[in-house]
Amino acid sequence: MTLPDALATTPAPSTTFVSPEFSPRPVSRGLWSTVRKYSKIVRASLVERMTYRGDFLFGTLLRFLPMVTTILLWQAIYEGSGQKDLAGFNFKEMIAYLLLTNISRMFSSMPGLAGGIAKDIREGTLKRYLVQPLNMIGYLLSYRVAHKVAYIVASFLPYALLFFLCRNYFDGLPDPVTMAAYLLSLVLSFLVGFFFEASVGMVGFWFLEVTSLLYIVMTLNFFVSGHMFPLDLLPQPWSGLLKILPFQYMAYFPAVVFLGKVKGMALVYNLLAEAGWAIGFMLLARGLYRVGLRRYSAFGG
Amino acid sequence: MLGAMGRYARLLGDLTRFTMSRELAFRGNFLVKVSVEILWLAILLAFYRTVFARTKMVAGWPEEQYLFFVGCFFALNGLIETFFLENCNDFAELVRTGDLDFLLLRPIDEQFLITCRKIDWGTGPNVLMGGAVMGISLYQMGWHFDAVRLLAFLVTFVCGVAIAYSFMLMLTSLSVWMVRNQGLMEMWWLFASLARYPKEIFRGTWAEPVGVFFTFVLPILLVANVPASALVRVFDPGMILFTIVATVVVFWGSRRFFLHALRSYRSASS
Amino acid sequence: MPMIEAIGLTKTYRVFQKKEGLLGAFRGLYHREFKEVKAVDHVSFSIEPGEMVAFLGPNGAGKTTTLKMLSGLIYPTSGTATALGFTPWQRLDAFRRQFALVMGQKNQLWWDLPAADSFQLHREIYSLPTAEFQKTLNELTELLGVAKLTRQAVRELSLGERMKMELIAALLHQPRLLLLDEPTIGLDVVAQVAIQKCLRDYHAQRGVTMLLTSHYMRDVEALCSRVLVITHGTLVYDGPLSRIAERFGRSKLIRLEFEAGVVPEDLERYGEVARKDGAAADLKVDRARVAEVLGAILDRHSVIDVSVQDPPLEQVIARVFEEGRKNHDAA
Repeated sequence: MTLPDALATTPAPSTTFVSPEFSPRPVSRGLWSTVRKYSKIVRASLVERMTYRGDFLFGTLLRFLPMVTTILLWQAIYEGSGQKDLAGFNFKEMIAYLLLTNISRMFSSMPGLAGGIAKDIREGTLKRYLVQPLNMIGYLLSYRVAHKVAYIVASFLPYALLFFLCRNYFDGLPDPVTMAAYLLSLVLSFLVGFFFEASVGMVGFWFLEVTSLLYIVMTLNFFVSGHMFPLDLLPQPWSGLLKILPFQYMAYFPAVVFLGKVKGMALVYNLLAEAGWAIGFMLLARGLYRVGLRRYSAFGG
Repeated sequence: MLGAMGRYARLLGDLTRFTMSRELAFRGNFLVKVSVEILWLAILLAFYRTVFARTKMVAGWPEEQYLFFVGCFFALNGLIETFFLENCNDFAELVRTGDLDFLLLRPIDEQFLITCRKIDWGTGPNVLMGGAVMGISLYQMGWHFDAVRLLAFLVTFVCGVAIAYSFMLMLTSLSVWMVRNQGLMEMWWLFASLARYPKEIFRGTWAEPVGVFFTFVLPILLVANVPASALVRVFDPGMILFTIVATVVVFWGSRRFFLHALRSYRSASS
Repeated sequence: MPMIEAIGLTKTYRVFQKKEGLLGAFRGLYHREFKEVKAVDHVSFSIEPGEMVAFLGPNGAGKTTTLKMLSGLIYPTSGTATALGFTPWQRLDAFRRQFALVMGQKNQLWWDLPAADSFQLHREIYSLPTAEFQKTLNELTELLGVAKLTRQAVRELSLGERMKMELIAALLHQPRLLLLDEPTIGLDVVAQVAIQKCLRDYHAQRGVTMLLTSHYMRDVEALCSRVLVITHGTLVYDGPLSRIAERFGRSKLIRLEFEAGVVPEDLERYGEVARKDGAAADLKVDRARVAEVLGAILDRHSVIDVSVQDPPLEQVIARVFEEGRKNHDAA
C-alpha cells in the first residue's frame, strides 16, 4: 500500500549535490551573505518546481481531492454514531483536525532524507563531507530548510484556496497567543521530523538496507503520529501512550494546538517536551554520526 | 485466436515463474515488503475497530459487513498492485528515457507487454490476507453458503479489477504528455480514495450527484462496492449487469486512449 | 528489390524554449515558445540485401532518428521508407518479427531477471520453435563466450557482457535486417573486438543486412564497406569507405625518414608538420602540391624512407563534420 506521505511535500532529491557556491561556508561570512545564499537556493528551487508546469498545478490540486471522501466518511461516521461529539471532537473539529495535520506534515515530513543519508554511506559519497569543511548534518539541515521554504511558498496558493473553501469547518483563527504557540510547534515539528529521520538514516552505518526499515517506520508513523485520526479517538491505554511518544509532534500536536485543545500549562509543558525531543533526536543523530564515522573509516569506506 | 491467447497465457506463466524465483532469491527484501503490507492491514483494521467502537453503523453498513468491505478492497487493491502498479509506474520513466521504444519493437501487443512486464510479489500476499479478512467477516455474520451470490461476487470482483486496471491504464497513458513521474502515484492514491469506502457515504445535497457521477459516468465506485454488496448486502441483478457492461466499455475506452497515447509518443519522439 | 529504401525522409520536432530566471519561469506556466528543429532533412538512400552499411555523423546529426524511423518507432514528418518490403511505422507483426534493433548502452532485457529468462520470454514473444531456439542460443553464447553468464541477473553483468546478451537477444529470432545504434560505445577494446567479430561471422553465415551507426572508425573499418555520412540531418556522402579520403581529404600525409638522423629545421616551409620523432616526420600537404613538395625535399635532403598516405580517416571525417557545422551555422 502506498502512503500519501511517501508522496508528500518535497520531491527533493536530497542526493543531488547543490553546486559548490551554495555549500554553507562558515557563518563568519556574515548574516547578509547567508540570507542571499538561501534566497538563491529558494529561487532556484522555485524555478525548478515550476519547470514542470502541468504536473505542478495538477498534482497539488489532486492531493486535496481525497479530502472530499474523508469528509464524507466522517460525516457518515458521526451520523451513524448518533453523537455530536467523538472523543472531544465534533464533526467540524474533526475535519479541521484532518486538514491541519496536512500542514503539520508539510513541516515535519522529510522525503528522501534518511534514504539519501543511507545512500551516501552505501555508495561512499559520504567522503565529500569528510574531505570538505562541511558538517553533514548541518549541511543537510540548511538544504532542508531552504527546500521547505521553497515548497511552502510554492504551495501557498493551493493550500490557501483549500482552506478558504473549507473555512466553514473552522471557528475562525485562534487568538495571538495560541497562534504563536502553533507556529512554534510547527517549527519544532520540523526539527523533530528532521533529526528523527536523520537518525534513522544513520543506521545505514550498521545496516545496508535502511530503506526497508524506513518503509516500516513511515507506515507506522502514519498511524501513531495521528495523521489518520486524532489520537484521542483511541481507547486507553493506547491514547495515553501515543501522546507521550515523540511521533505525535509530527502531526497531532500542532493540529490540536491550533484547535485550542491544549491550553495553559499543558500547552507550555508539551512545547517544552517537543523542544526536548528535538534536542534529543539531534543529539542522537550527531552521536550516531560520530560513532558511525569511526566505524566507517575503520572499514575504509 | 485461441493460439494467440495461449501465447499470452504462456508468457504470463513464464513471467510468474521467473519473477517469483527472483523474489524468493532475495528473501529478506521480500519479507520486509510483506511485513509492511501486514502492518498496513493492521492499521486499516485498527482504524476500523476504533470507529466501530463508537458507532454501530457507517453509511448504513454495520460492523461485520464493513469488515467484509475492507477485506474486499484490500484483496482487490493487492491484485492491482501485484500485477500492474509497478509497470504503470515504470511507464513514465520509460517514456522519459526513450526505453519505451524497445517495448514497441516486439511483435506482441504493447498494452500487454507494458502493463504485465513485471510482477511485484511483495504485495501478492495481500490478496490472501484480504481473502482471510473476508472469510472471517463471513464467519462472524453467520453467512450461509449461496452459490448464486458467490458467483455474482466472483464475477463482479473480476469486473472491479478490470475497471481499476482500466483507470490505471488511462492515468498511465497521461505520462506520455506529462513529464514527471510522481503524478501517477498521486492520481492512483486519489482513485483508491474513491474506491475504498462504501458508496453510501455520498449523501447530502452536493455529495449525491458526485456519487452518481462516480457510479454511472466514471464508474470508480463500482469497483469494491458491487462485489461486496453482492455477497453480503443487497443482491441487485440490475447493478451487477450494469457493472459488467461498464467494465467492457471502460476497458475498451482505456485501451483506445492508451493506443492513442502511444501514437502521440511516437510522433513526438526523436 | 532493395532491403531498405528511404526517399526524402524528414523529421522535424519542436523544442520548447525555457526562459531565464524566475519571471520567465512564471511566464512559462501559461505561455511557451518553441523552436522547430530539423533532425532529419530529406534523406534518401537505398540498401541491398546482404550489405553492411555504416551511418557516420557527429552527435545530433540525425543517425539515431533515421534508424528509429526505419524501425517504425517514429513517424516521419514527410518522406517515405520501406524496409523488408513493409512500411516500418505501420509496425505490423510480420515486420517486427524479421528485424532487430540494438542500441548501445541501452538495455532491452528484463533488468532483474537472468539473461536466460529474458531469452525464454523472447522465445515466447517471437513464437520460436524450441529446438531451433535452443540451437541458435547455444551457437550465439558460444560465439560470444558468455555461456556461463546466462543465469546471472542482467543488472549484475558488466557493460560488455550486457551488450553481448543484448546482441544475442537480437539475433535469437534470426532477423533478416539488423539495425545497430552505437553498439560498442563505452566498451573496452576486447569486448568491442568480440562484438565486431560476432557481427562479421553472423553476416558471413547468414547474409543478414546490417545498418550500423557508430562514432568509432574501428567499428566502421572492421565491418562496413559502404558509408553514409550525415551531418545536421543531411546526407553528405554515400559510397565506399575507401573513397572518403578522396572525396573529402584535401591533404595527404607524407611520411619521411631522414638519413641525417635528425629532421631538418626548415621542414615547416613545405607544409604542416604533423609529427616529429627523431629522424622521422609526418608532413601534411595539399593534395595538389604533393609531387612538388616531395621533389623539393628529395632534392635538398637525403631521405631513407618515404611514403604518401591518406590522413587517418578520423581526421577526414572530423573535418567533414566540422565543415558541415560551419555550413549549417552560416545558413
